[in-house]
Amino acid sequence: MSHQLTIEPIGETIEVEDGQTILDACLRNGIYVPYQCGHGLCSTCKVDVLEGEVDHGDASMFALMDFEREEGKTLACCATLESDATIEADIEEDEDALYLPVGDFEGEVSEIVDLTGDIKGIYLDLPGDGIAFQAGQYINLEIPGLEHPRAFSLANPPSEPNRIELHVRRVEGGAGTTYLHEKLKVGDKLRFAGPFGRFFVRKSFEKPMIFIAGGSGLSSPKSMVLDLLDEGCALPITLFHGVRTRDDLYFEDLFRELERKHENFTYVPALSEGDDSDGWTGARGFINEVAERHFDGRFAGHQAYLCGPPPMIEASIRSLMKGRLFEKDIYTEKFVTQADGEVALARSPLFKRI
Amino acid sequence: MSVATKARKLGLKQRYALMTRGLGWETTYQPMDTVFPYDTYEGIKIHDWDAWEDPFRLTMDAYWKYQSEKERKLYAVIDSFAQNNGHLGITDARYVNAIKLFLTGVSPLEYQAHRGFAHAGRHFRGVGPRIACQMQSIDELRHAQTQVHAMSHYNKYFDGFHDKTHMHDRVWYLSVPKSFFDDAMTAGPFEFLTAISFSFEYVLTNLLFVPFMSGAAYNGDMATVTFGFSAQSDEARHMTLGLEVIKFMLEQDEGNTPIVQRWMDKWFWRGYRLLALVAMMMDYMLPKRIMSWQEAWEMYFEEAGGALFEDLSRYGIRPPKYHEVAAKEKDRISHEAWGIFYNYTHAAAFHTWLPNEDEMAWLSAKYPKTFDKIYRPRYEQWAKMKAEGKRFYNNTLPQLCTTCQIPMGFTEPDDPTTICFRSSEYRGERYHFCSDGCKDIFDYEPEKYIQSWLPVHQIYQGNCGGAELGQVLDWYHINQGADNLDYDGSPDQQLWDKWMSDRKKAAS
Repeated sequence: MSHQLTIEPIGETIEVEDGQTILDACLRNGIYVPYQCGHGLCSTCKVDVLEGEVDHGDASMFALMDFEREEGKTLACCATLESDATIEADIEEDEDALYLPVGDFEGEVSEIVDLTGDIKGIYLDLPGDGIAFQAGQYINLEIPGLEHPRAFSLANPPSEPNRIELHVRRVEGGAGTTYLHEKLKVGDKLRFAGPFGRFFVRKSFEKPMIFIAGGSGLSSPKSMVLDLLDEGCALPITLFHGVRTRDDLYFEDLFRELERKHENFTYVPALSEGDDSDGWTGARGFINEVAERHFDGRFAGHQAYLCGPPPMIEASIRSLMKGRLFEKDIYTEKFVTQADGEVALARSPLFKRI
Repeated sequence: MSVATKARKLGLKQRYALMTRGLGWETTYQPMDTVFPYDTYEGIKIHDWDAWEDPFRLTMDAYWKYQSEKERKLYAVIDSFAQNNGHLGITDARYVNAIKLFLTGVSPLEYQAHRGFAHAGRHFRGVGPRIACQMQSIDELRHAQTQVHAMSHYNKYFDGFHDKTHMHDRVWYLSVPKSFFDDAMTAGPFEFLTAISFSFEYVLTNLLFVPFMSGAAYNGDMATVTFGFSAQSDEARHMTLGLEVIKFMLEQDEGNTPIVQRWMDKWFWRGYRLLALVAMMMDYMLPKRIMSWQEAWEMYFEEAGGALFEDLSRYGIRPPKYHEVAAKEKDRISHEAWGIFYNYTHAAAFHTWLPNEDEMAWLSAKYPKTFDKIYRPRYEQWAKMKAEGKRFYNNTLPQLCTTCQIPMGFTEPDDPTTICFRSSEYRGERYHFCSDGCKDIFDYEPEKYIQSWLPVHQIYQGNCGGAELGQVLDWYHINQGADNLDYDGSPDQQLWDKWMSDRKKAAS
């Protein structure tokens, strides 16, 4: 059976499986707890247990000494839960996080539209106050017949809490997206939990913003850009949207209109495939290269938000870093799955979030 | 699963900032450049010292509390090891020679690290790196002391432990670790941190510490295992410092990137060459082996280091130059190094031996491509000579590599049967190197390396006690006939064999 773990100071709650270490559960849920050796020797991942019972596992007597055990400390890389628990870890506090509570919701499908050949826009109506979230966050959607929920970013702005918008790209062989594309119909009810995630605009930094979206990764940036412009944000905002062909581009009219209305907003859609026969006169190439050209290779002084497939995110991080923008100013949206969690552990501790 | 959020507390980072702020200031009696004369000449440009992310977040009062508790635990184990005659529980007395090598070769480096970090810390004008270096300096002093104390038990019974500091400064093969550290300490503060905190403590540490400590565990040496654990609980901070200094330099100015790359290239190769001593320890000196050098290299450098350099490539940093040469050498350097020591065991402060049949079978299995073809015949020949009463000693002094100071016994990257010779001419003199890696290091800073104290040259110049081997060994403080020569027939062996036979008698 599993237990619930609340992580302070960010206040997020996650599920921890029987026998799963605190560190493993945190990393798989996208929460970076500093760690190094991963097997109880170095003490980098030492955390305070504020409530609940933990088993210290194989923590070394030097990395976690007796008096520390008595003081309620444990090593996240070895500790497993014996009950629901609350820990405090050395996690950066984030003054832009609203720490909105996670809730369970049921919505009714009010509209399904073909945004592109393989992306559907699915709209769910929610009763009452709807869902409070920060632009950029995601939900875990329960799909009939599937054991585990699937994560989708909210594409509507927080100012529209009663009508949520999801962008669902059909994944070849993917049971969840196939269901949503083939079986789901208007009037169906869907249950979900949310909001989740730490992908939201760090408004307190007041820096010019760059959004880089790949394919259906437009969802979060769409919500974020609409939210910023709604609020009257006057900082420069540049949205790059990279797709393969002209047919894959969606919400082009919306963003062109916003660009006309808002002097501080720039919209740069780009195609990575196709040639002049498609009539496209805009930017061509991989979206990170388009961004490099647009900014003349210099990104310092900005904040960047990346949302899309992992290769696009990695390529964009490299372009941004080459242009002197580093980890503290780069935010990415990754839905960390079990497989990704293992990859995350295989990486070096050089970077925490990107 | 709705969870209400609680009133927020200060995060650790903010608490730490509140407790440590104001520790640095702009000097007024003297300009900052005069007070901190060394943190600019290396070419590293820092625009914002406050961008340093303190990797420790440990205050001094907490530091003393933790460290004193670690000491209490460690000394309890060391005491009980001594009281229970822990030396009788090791696998075989040959193991003790690995500890002799550690005490004379590695522990003095811990002390040098203590001095080096104190020096580097003094010369950073930023308060973040200064404090980080200061704490590491104290850690290193603790490591040096606890290692000496843990190993001092062996000095009661075995030879070769009596004068580590003196030997470290003089004995020919100990000039390899000594010159490595001297090279780092005579560099500027940023290069020192790249050399020691990053290249050594982060990239290569698992290849030094893990083999020695696991080796100790496998061979029943609980005192050494315990100081290993005790030290490793500090190492995380040291490794984090290594990563932080690299990120700091790379993010502060793009002009720093080529400098950092050059240091990574240099210190990877310097560290790798030094690890040849560890390689031979793993493959030959542990009676009960953990893993082969090749396996360790693959696990700790090729896999873990591969992930690191993949991440670093985002900064435009590539894997260290000549890492592919190290990969080509991974199935031979331990054998080549052990061969050198077998040749010169009459001049060493620890014993050597020929691997027995079981050990050769293990080596064949671990090194299927090279061992039976190249190294087994050599050992068989040496065994035959010994059986005929003609034990092979090399009675001439070897040529040394000017950079790493290892005798020129390593082979061509693509031919393990041909010794690799490289040389450079500088101001009319020719200097010799074991590899392209060592030659490149010299060529970039020849003025530094022409000053090297090369043991063979010093002997020939008459600076080492005399012209005869015995005189040089006296000058080294090596007790002849006890510390040196084969394990077979040594006082160590006689004592051990007597203990073991007494034990058998007592049991029967």
